[in-house]
Amino acid sequence: MSDKVFLCRCEDVTVKDVAHCVARGYADIEEVKRYTGFGTGPCQGKECLALVATELARLTGQPPTAIAPFTARPPLTPTPLGLLAEDPAAHRFADDPLDISPSDKPS
Amino acid sequence: MNSAVARRTTKSNESSSRTVAFSLGGDALQGDSTDSYAAAAWLAGQKVLSRSLKYHRPRGAFCLEGHCSGCLVRIDGVPNLRACQASCRDSALVESQNAFPSASFDVLGAVDKVYRRGMDHHTLMTSATVLNKVANRVVRALSGLGKLPTVAQSVLDNETAQPVVAVEVDVVVIGAGPSGLAAATTIASAGHSVLVLDEQLELGGSYLADVRFGRAAAGSAVASAQAAGATLLAQTTAIGYFAEPGNVRQGVVIAAAGASHGKWNEATLVRVQARRWLWATGGYAANLPFANNDRPGVLAARAVGRLLAAHDIVAGDNIVMIVDGERGGAPASEVRRHATAVADALNHEGCTVRTVSLADVATVATSLLGNDVTAIELTTGERIECDTVAVVALPSPASEGARMQGCDVTLDPDVGGYAVTVDALGRTSVRGAYATGDVTGYLGPAAAAAHGQHIGAAIVADLTAGAQHVG
Repeated sequence: MSDKVFLCRCEDVTVKDVAHCVARGYADIEEVKRYTGFGTGPCQGKECLALVATELARLTGQPPTAIAPFTARPPLTPTPLGLLAEDPAAHRFADDPLDISPSDKPS
Repeated sequence: MNSAVARRTTKSNESSSRTVAFSLGGDALQGDSTDSYAAAAWLAGQKVLSRSLKYHRPRGAFCLEGHCSGCLVRIDGVPNLRACQASCRDSALVESQNAFPSASFDVLGAVDKVYRRGMDHHTLMTSATVLNKVANRVVRALSGLGKLPTVAQSVLDNETAQPVVAVEVDVVVIGAGPSGLAAATTIASAGHSVLVLDEQLELGGSYLADVRFGRAAAGSAVASAQAAGATLLAQTTAIGYFAEPGNVRQGVVIAAAGASHGKWNEATLVRVQARRWLWATGGYAANLPFANNDRPGVLAARAVGRLLAAHDIVAGDNIVMIVDGERGGAPASEVRRHATAVADALNHEGCTVRTVSLADVATVATSLLGNDVTAIELTTGERIECDTVAVVALPSPASEGARMQGCDVTLDPDVGGYAVTVDALGRTSVRGAYATGDVTGYLGPAAAAAHGQHIGAAIVADLTAGAQHVG
């Protein structure tokens, strides 16, 4: 069996991959993301971002606070594209369907 | 292949649910209508649910809370669904993806052995152009997640298009865990309108992954919030914050409500405008770096707790807990208290639980195909036989939504990861945006609930001051 230490299971990125990436000169979190593909799978970094960033801090000798996260983009969770693909003309905004409203709303 | 060591707890009461029969990877399985497919599969000993993208390693559930990719399956012709976020239904067809012939035995698993030292796809087959083109074709055929749905529903038809639900509230709370529910209760009690969005099948957040709290605590916190007048939506995931420059509220939170939601018959988008935002998104079950930490049978200790507290399932007979001994501080202590409570509950069920330090772990030994965990091998040479590995790690703050809104975060491994920066009143760096609970750094359910109540009161004071100012 092949023993690998995974940081990102979605894209199969290992501790070795991150070290290799840093050794090639890509030491910024966005660069590491683009080189290794970590954080680009179905979980979008939920499992791996903190792990990779912590490893990156260790490898580069930077304090963790110096490692900014990569950009968060929607959708934050796997979402059926059909939900987002509606024709804008078809939008019918339901009128307060949950029967709640802000207390400062002029009536 | 089938290693059913998992079982129902001795206190399990199945009267409230129904047994359903479904197919998983060609095998006939039985599940409980209140369980997810992932929980039912674990109970039946079917730990392998998918294959990994690059090395085609066998994978299974890890977090059981919808935040990892281990359990992505095709259900009734719809690809890439999380088996832990779908309730068992009668005669459902659950299939594995990206594996030939099956997830349990995938011939492409050979890739893992060929590239045992790893593979850099940037330098892979780049020497000869022709070979590279052929390789690209092969890789494209092999990669990607799942296949297109069997039936594609047209949503571009005016007659059938689901209306986007637009809601305006005083406060939107994202996350119905200990902190979010406590804050919602406090804010709604003061007479403000509150909408709570939660992605999970069941409301309660980390209460449901903690044997010290469980369903009873979750139910009581939900009941309190509802009694106070808050509106709670389960299976409704905030998929993003979108700035709207012309909007008096600055932006909107868009949420996706699931089809089995109850309020609507189909999956629906919800557009939320609010005067104040409260990120109470908690944390994600995290893994630790050790060899073979991706094997089916390696679960977050929090998932083992969730199986016990929310599903009445004992994860295994012989469990090894791996603890990161180097982390200090209050959050790490709280995580260890959670692990101890899980271990005590497992001991009570007759299980053997051993705890080892991350630094002492050499590797996870598996069965021949890598589908089942058989032991933990230590650097000392000692071998501990086990069927389940529980990873005790600080949950990683679920700060993406807050980050998307522009809230500052800081990486602090001692609190779990990128925690949202807040002041004593829960205020983030964005005006009107607040955060509470584990997303501000791991607290644990009891402290998170207290924090939520405190921050809820701060938001009430803020709204009241705002009203006086305007009036």
